[in-house]
Amino acid sequence: MARYESIRLAHGSGGRLTAELIHDVFATIFDNAPLAALTDAAVLDNPGGRLAFATDSHAVKPWRFPGGDIGRLAVAGTVNDLVVMGAVPRYLSAAFILEEGFRLEDLEAVVRSMKRTADEAGVEVVTGDTKVVERGKGDGIFINTAGVGFVPSGRDVGPHRLTAGDVLLVNGTLGDHGLAVMAAREGLELGMTLKSDVAPLGSLVEALLAAAPDVHFMRDPTRGGLAAVTNEMAASRPFGVRVWDARVPLNRDVAELSEMLGIDPLLAANEGKLVVALPADQAEAALAALRGHELGREAAVIGDLVTQPAGMALVETPYGSRRVLEMPVEEQLPRIC
Amino acid sequence: MSRRFEPAPAPEGSENDFRPADYRDPGWVQALAQRIERVAATLARPVKLMHICGTHEHEIGRFGLRDLLPDTVEVLAGPGCPVCVCDSTWIDLAIDLAAVDDVIVTSFGDMLAVPGGIPLGSEARGDVRMSLLDARARGGDVRAVTSVFDAARLAAEYPERQVVFFSVGFETTVVATAALLRRGAPPNFSIVEANYYTPPATHLLPTLPGFDVDGFLLPGHASAITGTAVYRHLPELGLACAVAGFEPVDILAAVLELLEQLVRGRPQLANRYARVVAPEGNRRALAELDEVFEPTTMRWRGVADIPESGYRLRPAYQHASARLRFPGIGEARDRGPDHPAGCRCADVTLGLVRPDACPLFGRRCTPDNPYGPCMVSHEGTCRAWHLYGTARGRLQVETAGGSAPLGPL
Repeated sequence: MARYESIRLAHGSGGRLTAELIHDVFATIFDNAPLAALTDAAVLDNPGGRLAFATDSHAVKPWRFPGGDIGRLAVAGTVNDLVVMGAVPRYLSAAFILEEGFRLEDLEAVVRSMKRTADEAGVEVVTGDTKVVERGKGDGIFINTAGVGFVPSGRDVGPHRLTAGDVLLVNGTLGDHGLAVMAAREGLELGMTLKSDVAPLGSLVEALLAAAPDVHFMRDPTRGGLAAVTNEMAASRPFGVRVWDARVPLNRDVAELSEMLGIDPLLAANEGKLVVALPADQAEAALAALRGHELGREAAVIGDLVTQPAGMALVETPYGSRRVLEMPVEEQLPRIC
Repeated sequence: MSRRFEPAPAPEGSENDFRPADYRDPGWVQALAQRIERVAATLARPVKLMHICGTHEHEIGRFGLRDLLPDTVEVLAGPGCPVCVCDSTWIDLAIDLAAVDDVIVTSFGDMLAVPGGIPLGSEARGDVRMSLLDARARGGDVRAVTSVFDAARLAAEYPERQVVFFSVGFETTVVATAALLRRGAPPNFSIVEANYYTPPATHLLPTLPGFDVDGFLLPGHASAITGTAVYRHLPELGLACAVAGFEPVDILAAVLELLEQLVRGRPQLANRYARVVAPEGNRRALAELDEVFEPTTMRWRGVADIPESGYRLRPAYQHASARLRFPGIGEARDRGPDHPAGCRCADVTLGLVRPDACPLFGRRCTPDNPYGPCMVSHEGTCRAWHLYGTARGRLQVETAGGSAPLGPL
């Protein structure tokens, strides 16, 4: 691999350079038997149960940001899509679209970051693909991951179980990923310590389900943040979602930067957060379980499901006033004044 | 970790002793709401108050402050959202500049979403006009910046390209543009001169047929630049006035001040944002502004041409004018009228009609498929009205079996 410092079109052509890239970078770093076989498809053990299957493509600018990089994001993103359905994640695929000229040492750093995150999440990257596009036709690196996991029998988590009276929890501060990436992308140097929360949430979910087995619903509030999740929960349903503004945990720097830019952290992306709905009588046990895990130290009850107004999400302020929590439309942009 | 509402001790002493978070203190806010209710009960009739600042609308909506006011006190959003009053010809100029090779167009984020007058064409359902986001989707290099200084940095970073800053906004933003140009901007940097000046609009408003507002919440940040004397004419016309800050306590304190003036029957020009606004304004900023810009007649979108209500570059600074640097761009093009046919955004913005008086409202014009700027902007009156079903934004909540285990705090 040492012959080239950066990605060439030939790395994606299926020839010798492709083979070297697969062998020297992907197979070496991901290091597992199904991948090492270099077969057209990975043939895998099936531990039984229902199969959960998810895919997610990742494009983030800059690809390395405070608290993580696109590799960690690509693994955690798909893993979290599986675990919020109650699945135990097992296998991932990884497909890379690389721009000609992307530095090889950067690719290796991304792949190593994927491997570390996969180990943390207890999953293996067992199959993959690489394509190279001409310079100017991509943004350095895009990664698609797909993942499978298995849902243990007896688990039933999903929107169909939501009901008025459910209590809403989050496992920590909101908006960290969105604000950290925005600050890094816009080059905002404000003496702040913004950091993405990107993390795989499997062990946190298992701890939660052990303490509160009757969890009705989980969702990772990624793009669109809490606003998108709560609106999706309530859309066309006979209940609404109420969020108590003052109870939503926010990092100080996230709160300050949001004020400064006039954007709402409830609409900002998270990559290591979980929105949980469950019966009120299990809220205390769930909160204790979340707070006992390092990814849930700042967990909080932030709202509930109300019978009226139905079909929408709203925010209640500590003044007793209320506002509609809208589904985000365009990307969030800093305001003028 | 922090929360947006830090608990604060009961306020005592001078207002300068408080931290910003104190101005969100729930106890203080509720005490003000109760005083407002008591004073409002002594009013002879319902009153209408108008603010003329987009940030006031943003904060009123975000904290649900209309919820805390009695039914007899209505707060209207006047022509104060800079992206709403910005004439569509400026937007169209910026869109056309974005199509020029090697030009980067920069502006504030919320300006990018506002449609101008150029039909979007076959991509859209119905009569929809292009915004800068549409220009970007068509390949233009359009970027959101948080200040004019960011735009100038971009120009320094790309010396071989032209960076145009769409300088929209009121006094608060134009002083930053003036400061930059006076200190010297990169040679490949220029501006679209869409800077507006508020006070002349407040001369026009009370003369309009149908205008029945009783008092004004005056803009805090803009007044910090201009000083308060520029609004002296309003109390003389019988209008109550209070300069207001932007935290819940600031806004409610100013509402209370207006109601007290109305009950006394003696309109005045009060300053309820004295910790920031000096009566004489910011002289240094005004001097810089005057060196770089001169007053000019500006068209307020859908409203009127208002004399001396905008700023254009003085001859010594016209090298930074994008209009002059790119002659011919943005001219002689097919444009629609300011607002789509039937749209009453202009009358809504002036407080002359309610949004539901517009035939398009809620039918052809919704937040998902907006026609007029008042439905596009998050501060737009039509958008707020559509979301809440009323002007007041009061959402009634019912819980399952009264089982709410926890309150808001």
